[in-house]
Amino acid sequence: MSENEHLQAIATAVIDGETEDAVEATKTALDANVDPLEILNIGLMGGADEVGKRFERGEYFLPELMMAGRALKGSMEVVKPILLEKYSGSDSKVKGKVVSATVHTDIHDIGKNIVSSMLTAAGFEVTDLGVDVPIKSIIDKAEEIEAKIICLSALLTTSMPFMKDLIQLLDARGIRQKYVVLVGGASVTESWAKHIGADGTARNAADAVKLAREKIGM
Amino acid sequence: MLNYLDILDRANSGPYISEENWDLEKVAMTTKRLVKKYKIEWDRNQLVTDDPALSQAIWNAGYELAVEVGAYSRSTERLIEISQDEIDSGIRNMPQEVVMGEGKDARTLYARRLNDERAPLSFGGSPGTPVPERMFLANVMSYMQEPLIDLATCGTLVEVDGREVRTGNPIEIVSTRRELQYMRQGLKRVGRAGMGMLAAQSSVSELGDLAAAHPDYLRPCDSHLVPMLNELKMDHRNIARAVNSLEYGMVNASLPCVIVGGLGGGPAGSAVVNVASYLIANLTCLADYHILHPIHVRHIATSTREVLWVINATAQVFARHAPTIIVSDIYPKSGAGTKELLYETAANAIVNAVSGGHLEGCGSADGNLPNCSGLEARLMAEVALATHRMKMNLKQADDFVLQLLPKYEHVFTADGNPGLPFDQVYDPVKIEPLDFWQVMYEEVRTELKEMGLIL
Repeated sequence: MSENEHLQAIATAVIDGETEDAVEATKTALDANVDPLEILNIGLMGGADEVGKRFERGEYFLPELMMAGRALKGSMEVVKPILLEKYSGSDSKVKGKVVSATVHTDIHDIGKNIVSSMLTAAGFEVTDLGVDVPIKSIIDKAEEIEAKIICLSALLTTSMPFMKDLIQLLDARGIRQKYVVLVGGASVTESWAKHIGADGTARNAADAVKLAREKIGM
Repeated sequence: MLNYLDILDRANSGPYISEENWDLEKVAMTTKRLVKKYKIEWDRNQLVTDDPALSQAIWNAGYELAVEVGAYSRSTERLIEISQDEIDSGIRNMPQEVVMGEGKDARTLYARRLNDERAPLSFGGSPGTPVPERMFLANVMSYMQEPLIDLATCGTLVEVDGREVRTGNPIEIVSTRRELQYMRQGLKRVGRAGMGMLAAQSSVSELGDLAAAHPDYLRPCDSHLVPMLNELKMDHRNIARAVNSLEYGMVNASLPCVIVGGLGGGPAGSAVVNVASYLIANLTCLADYHILHPIHVRHIATSTREVLWVINATAQVFARHAPTIIVSDIYPKSGAGTKELLYETAANAIVNAVSGGHLEGCGSADGNLPNCSGLEARLMAEVALATHRMKMNLKQADDFVLQLLPKYEHVFTADGNPGLPFDQVYDPVKIEPLDFWQVMYEEVRTELKEMGLIL
């Protein structure tokens, strides 16, 4: 198999959401001395990009995104240690760590799940805290894992103020500058994001990935 | 028949399963398998179907999904297991008639069949839309005063007395009661004090709902929402809403907002999930009737091809196989002061009415902005009644909808077509449409007549 064929096999497994195939193809590629950075950037990210495009075109739905995310995660577990060994200390260059949550009092999770899946599929390491998460817990988790990005979701207009509270708490704790805070949800607008001092919002999951990449220079 | 204690017991003792595995392995994978097994396909160029075999397939798949997976308790991360006999008992006990409101203004919601002799009813209001307090009363009155509107609903108050309302905060109690004070005041002012309501929309947690169960606010003859979570999930907070009605007597409206493009996949799977949701909601929401409100994963609106098909499929399945009371939400992409809003409303009204639903609307501008008014609800009711008067069949309905789609499909972009706030399309004192909005309405009405609709 040529290097391109190895990378294509990995991408195909991600696109098909086949975790076992993705892990196997990654191991085979590494055994064939394919550069782990190529595996990440071309095989995995290439597959992930295609998954995102298919979702945007309405060909893929949430289950396919979640399956692709699982396949990518499985493959990353294989390639990550080798990547770190070869490119020592480059973990932060490889991916951005993200904490995502639906804010306190809001129990809607589909939008957040889609963005989390797309970010995972795009190579971010996402810690998804779920729904109805107190702002203190979100900040504590971001501190604990040294995240770069905090993604906040709210569907309910009356839960959106908790996004503002989180930013104010970051300010009060003197750690606002450590984080890119992105906000989203059906009622969240650019003017709301600006009003509360967030670093941005996106109208759909694909734009959210672009924004996250842009904000941390990926 | 299961009661709420059984549901709570099972939520506390059922097998543990992570939410991710519930979503993916139980709901998504089972739905995908059933769609394949029953060969269910949707056609983006036939949005009102006339195919008993397709309806049968969706019914079979939805029933199997409900029996096979049951429900999930997010509060305890456990399965709520439900037997086939219990699902069947829920179907047998689905109310066929529910009286809402009182006195001369009372209306009877009924389980509709296809080509039903009785006309569909219309709820007027912009359900769940955030509306500022300063325009709330005038806004709800703009719907209540419409003669063709049978029942009232409303948006949510997101600020009261100049204070921001937060979910679960004590101020939610005030906002929900304030909403109901405005509603009752509005009904009195338009001379329809007994009109039934689907309200307490400001109760986004259970707090407001609990606080509003009082004859001065939400009467026993009114209804309130008992939401399900996506997909086939409940939590204790929402079960509390249903339990709150047990002795007091409010009408429970189950609200499973199936995401079209979500865990069920495309329209075919989403219809299957919607059918299963109602079968589960009969038991977990103690549902007296069901709200039909699929949400498009990207565009939200109910007027997209995908969502119109799911509405048509779900309502028809029940009308043909297990009649139950279905009230179908209309959430157009466009807002007040645009012609597209009226086209979207007409398309939705036709699909809802001929497929076996009653109507509720309109959540104009995706229900995100107070860009809504009674005028579009007038058109919604007029169109629904016209389909009934004309004895419009499914094929004719499909033809009308396909003619309407090109008039508004360009609005499905990131920017949408939000239109204008209520106080820029209505005189909020006289509660009358401003001239330009009235003219738009008249022009669209004329176009609909030219298309053959007998308005």
